[in-house]
Amino acid sequence: MTAATQTINMVIAALGGEGGGVLTNWIIDVADREGWLCQSTSLAGVAQRTGATIYYLEMFPRSELPEGVQPVMSLFPAQGDIDVAIASEVAEAGRMVQRGFITPQRTTLIASDHRVYGITEKEHLSDGIVDALALQEVAGRYARDYIHYDMLTLANEHGTVISSVLLGALAGAGVLPFDKSSYEAVISSTGKAVASNMAAFEASYQRASNRGGEQGAERGVEQFVPAQASPAADAPFKLPAAASAEGERLLGRLQAFPVSCHEVVYHALAKLVDYQDYAYADQYLDEIEQLLALDRGDNDYELTCESARYLALWMCFEDIPRVAQFKTRASRMDKVRSEVRAEDDQLFHVTEFFRPRVEEMAAILPARLGRWVLGSSTCCRFLNLFTGGKQLRTNTLAVYLTLRTLAGLRRWRRASLGYQHEHALIGRWLQALKAAAARPGDSGQALALELAECGRLVKGYGDTRARTSGQMQAMLERIEQQPEQVDADAVAQWRSAALADDENRAFAELMAQTPPSSSAEQAA
Amino acid sequence: MAERSFAKEVLKLRAGDGELFKGEGILAITKALLQSGVSYVSGYQGSPISHLMDVLNDAREILGELGVHFETSGSEATAAAMLSASINYPLRGAVTWKSTVGTNVASDALSNVASSGVVGGAMVIVGEDYGEGSSIMQERTYAFAMKAQMWLLDPRPNLPSIVDMVEKGFQLSEASNTPLFYMMRIRGCHVTGEFVAKDNIPPRFSNRNPVVPHREPEKIILPPNVYAQEREKIAERLPAAIAFIKEHKLNEWFPGKHEQLGIIVQGGSYNTVIRALQRQGLADAFGQTDIPLYVMNVAYPLVPDEIVQFCVGKQQVLVLEEGQPEYIEQGIHTALRRADVQTRIYGKDIMPMAGEYTGQVTLEGLTRFLEAAALPSISLRLSREEVEALRSPLTDADHEALLSNVPPRPSGLCTGCPERPLFSAIKQVQRELGPFHISSDIGCHSFATLAPFNLGNTIMGYGLSLASSSGIRHSLPHKSISIMGDGGFWHNGLTSGVTSAVFNKHDGVLIIVDNGYAAATGGQDIPSLVEPNIIATTIDADAPSRDDAQSIDAACRGAGVKWVRTVSTYSVDTMKDTLEEALTTSTPGLKVIIAEGECMLNRQRRIKPLMKKSIDDGKRTVRARFMVDAETCTGDHACIRISGCPSLTIKPNPDPLRKDPVTYVDNSCVGCGVCGANAHAAILCPSFSRVDLLYNPSRMDRLLGRMRHSVIGWLQQRDQRKERNRSL
Repeated sequence: MTAATQTINMVIAALGGEGGGVLTNWIIDVADREGWLCQSTSLAGVAQRTGATIYYLEMFPRSELPEGVQPVMSLFPAQGDIDVAIASEVAEAGRMVQRGFITPQRTTLIASDHRVYGITEKEHLSDGIVDALALQEVAGRYARDYIHYDMLTLANEHGTVISSVLLGALAGAGVLPFDKSSYEAVISSTGKAVASNMAAFEASYQRASNRGGEQGAERGVEQFVPAQASPAADAPFKLPAAASAEGERLLGRLQAFPVSCHEVVYHALAKLVDYQDYAYADQYLDEIEQLLALDRGDNDYELTCESARYLALWMCFEDIPRVAQFKTRASRMDKVRSEVRAEDDQLFHVTEFFRPRVEEMAAILPARLGRWVLGSSTCCRFLNLFTGGKQLRTNTLAVYLTLRTLAGLRRWRRASLGYQHEHALIGRWLQALKAAAARPGDSGQALALELAECGRLVKGYGDTRARTSGQMQAMLERIEQQPEQVDADAVAQWRSAALADDENRAFAELMAQTPPSSSAEQAA
Repeated sequence: MAERSFAKEVLKLRAGDGELFKGEGILAITKALLQSGVSYVSGYQGSPISHLMDVLNDAREILGELGVHFETSGSEATAAAMLSASINYPLRGAVTWKSTVGTNVASDALSNVASSGVVGGAMVIVGEDYGEGSSIMQERTYAFAMKAQMWLLDPRPNLPSIVDMVEKGFQLSEASNTPLFYMMRIRGCHVTGEFVAKDNIPPRFSNRNPVVPHREPEKIILPPNVYAQEREKIAERLPAAIAFIKEHKLNEWFPGKHEQLGIIVQGGSYNTVIRALQRQGLADAFGQTDIPLYVMNVAYPLVPDEIVQFCVGKQQVLVLEEGQPEYIEQGIHTALRRADVQTRIYGKDIMPMAGEYTGQVTLEGLTRFLEAAALPSISLRLSREEVEALRSPLTDADHEALLSNVPPRPSGLCTGCPERPLFSAIKQVQRELGPFHISSDIGCHSFATLAPFNLGNTIMGYGLSLASSSGIRHSLPHKSISIMGDGGFWHNGLTSGVTSAVFNKHDGVLIIVDNGYAAATGGQDIPSLVEPNIIATTIDADAPSRDDAQSIDAACRGAGVKWVRTVSTYSVDTMKDTLEEALTTSTPGLKVIIAEGECMLNRQRRIKPLMKKSIDDGKRTVRARFMVDAETCTGDHACIRISGCPSLTIKPNPDPLRKDPVTYVDNSCVGCGVCGANAHAAILCPSFSRVDLLYNPSRMDRLLGRMRHSVIGWLQQRDQRKERNRSL
């Protein structure tokens, strides 16, 4: 390093509770060991409690200081004046670029590839997740050097936190004139979780220093090459062999579909058989075949594919027997064990939080009885006695047996009120789909596809189910009443309004804007 | 028990003459106070000086050794009133708070102490919360300093200057009989660095050496004294201050070779200016500058002689003054006009009137100034266009890509926060009785105004929510709703809110969020703190209470409230019922709901080591956490919208047919139980399960476990075989 004339400037972007402060202190200590003066500032409390915050460091070698003179260091990270930027997460890396802290001539960007979702992404009624690949692609173009991998996974593999992995990446990046041994000394001197932090540091160091495959390769602009989202997604779907004679027969029927639909229809059939029986799968195929006949094949039979997807999900609506079936499966306890990270032989109790409403109870009764119960206020009042929140421990015998019995009720599902209710609406939806697809010209196909996508809306339990079904019903009524006036754009608008809020406000407003109809209020 | 412990760091405060002291800005200030022989210190926490209060609190022992008196004031007004000790006696004292809000609260006492004048050095260390990372409205302390005639120090943000200015500040205060503000900016509070320490000085007067009481009637703020005091401010104190500042060179001069030009800057912005000059090739890393600088470590009062002296002979001078209005710039103009100096002053005409002078803003301003000056001997490294382009290197397309893909990250309640279930409950009640107009307050609960709760209409000040509902309550379709924290209640809410409301027959509902600490500012103790940090209804009902406990319930009843209910926030159903009752009851008068639940951050800090010890000791221990069944979750995320817990997140749907991500509880879950309570109260879905992990299970646990495992396992295997026969 030639005589220092200016400071090395570093910004660290972290989320609250991620240990950005710990990382900052480690770096200060490393600099100190190397005989560098390091100044840091932060906006404490900004991370409160889940917000993004940044730490800012400047460093200067003590050996270059004239006697009795201190460098003047800035307290602000400034655009175009950053040598190293560290972001603990992809979107924060994007924010660093957005704020102008990443400049192509100067800044090495070190960022983990994992995502920590923001509240706007999480609270979305459907899928509000941002495009992380787009962020990485931009970051890769604006950084002088972009060092990135899933650092959280690496941290988890070593049973530690992301700060030690970020420190390893910083050391491995070779952007600071500090020796690896100084980083290691700082980790050991903390005396806390030294072994796991050291291992994570080392793994990350290797990963960062060997990037691009060539050890000691000349540092330069390492452009970001988008990784394939998931290798499996790009591999063509291979139809598994049938496991039973009935399966063989169903898969035979499936062969009649275009290859692009095989994956969806296969998963659908497996789900339907698991949900009910083979006949239910046949019933499903009957419908889908009719749709296929009307599909002109645009976009690899997208209409058939998406209709097949949402029809299967709708036909497997979550009633009490279905939930009980899931909760009593052998595989469930294994899933629980891995999800809560319990040891292999560790005992645990699982308590379910159930609160079925009268409607859900009536839904599993035979249709006529169910309807009578819902119509009788005495019955409802009686059943209401049992609708309080229940905490049931699935791993006790009594609860397990009760749930298993409830799961067994699916044998009589076809006669239940819930089944009739759902299938009545499914029938209307399919009818509208087919009618649209049968229309001559492009507009009919487009409308059918939009209607198929509306299948995504119908989901959830309790109030959510009532709201989403109500919206579907309102849309169908419009189409049934005025088939000529509804086009794909209108349905797309309805759908986005339905996803705008969970109180049916935007949807009801939109429906009211485009009268005439008496149905909007009912849906609301 | 504050969030951050300085127990280790405060040991550095014992450093003696010649020792190198390394640490953070606030720690350096504390050391400087001790080196100055303060007799009393106090304050009220708030960003950015919360940690200063924490440091003082953790340093009680060291303060005690020296005989320094420390109190945690009930409010900034309490702290300011303490300064009266310096009016009659040569006691040095320092108090601290967050400005502007704290100064507003303290203003009555401050004006009075400023009028009376002091004989002992009196210093108010204000955390100036201006700019990025600020949590309040943007105002400057400067105006208060001017109108009350208190001096305002704004030292260069490096530790030696910070320490030096504390020491000189006390001398200035005594030399001019005037209390002063010592301004610390956000980043300066947390800047790390080093300085050479001096010995601590025990105060001249303390419990070891009491003062002899004596009166100076002319110092009492009654007429006609106040007229004399006002005249004295101008005739004696101001000239004395200016003389002291000049004599001790509190403001600094940095010569530069381009003498036709100059920059006048407040001390706090000095480093940013040097960096800007450096980037233009006009300064080096050590602050050697080509443009002469006049650095005002004393931002108020101005020293006209020095300003004139600096400007004389210069063609152009740039004034860098952060914030509005441009008080300093106006003062400089006045000084120069009176002296008939014709130097062209650039200031807010080329700099932004409002907002923080960040590195980029300062560099832009400096570049504009130098381009306007157009000195042939100066060639800039970066042109104005190049500097402006630095704001964002992004192309329009990339800018768009980032705009739509960088999610906002608003502050929110922590994992397991006891306030979350309260707002879940309010949101649910609102669905039935709403929409609501809610008067909110300062504290963590103000985050409820953000996503996903979106509850709250106004925030008027600390503890003022109930007061702020009194003007709207007669025009609301529902009983007025005010939310206040326990911190705000004790700070101001009891008197300005509860007492006044009872007196005025206020019929509204007041929800007091009682989490046991001043959680928003970092977990500082408050009067209703329950030792050992246990809140009865939430956790251990048998926990011992403090014998000098100050209860919110008793305080409300004492103020005349008849309807008071205490509800654990975690009981969402009970909370909903209580809220509904409060909002619909025909009982007249104020309805107070104390929503009780311990701050989970503090609880975790307390519980975690205990739990680890219990497990290590081989004791049967149960740890709870929640999970979501991905198979039953349909990806509607209603649970997230009603809770917003950070540990409640999403992950790709394992079902190949579904596209919407499913809810997922990550490993940061602390098992507070809100998910389950919400699933019940809001009738969400059957996907939530609580998992109780057993450590060191008892013999009974094992026996039962084996038995269940064999019976349930046998049945499950049978079902599995059947299913396999029935598969595709």
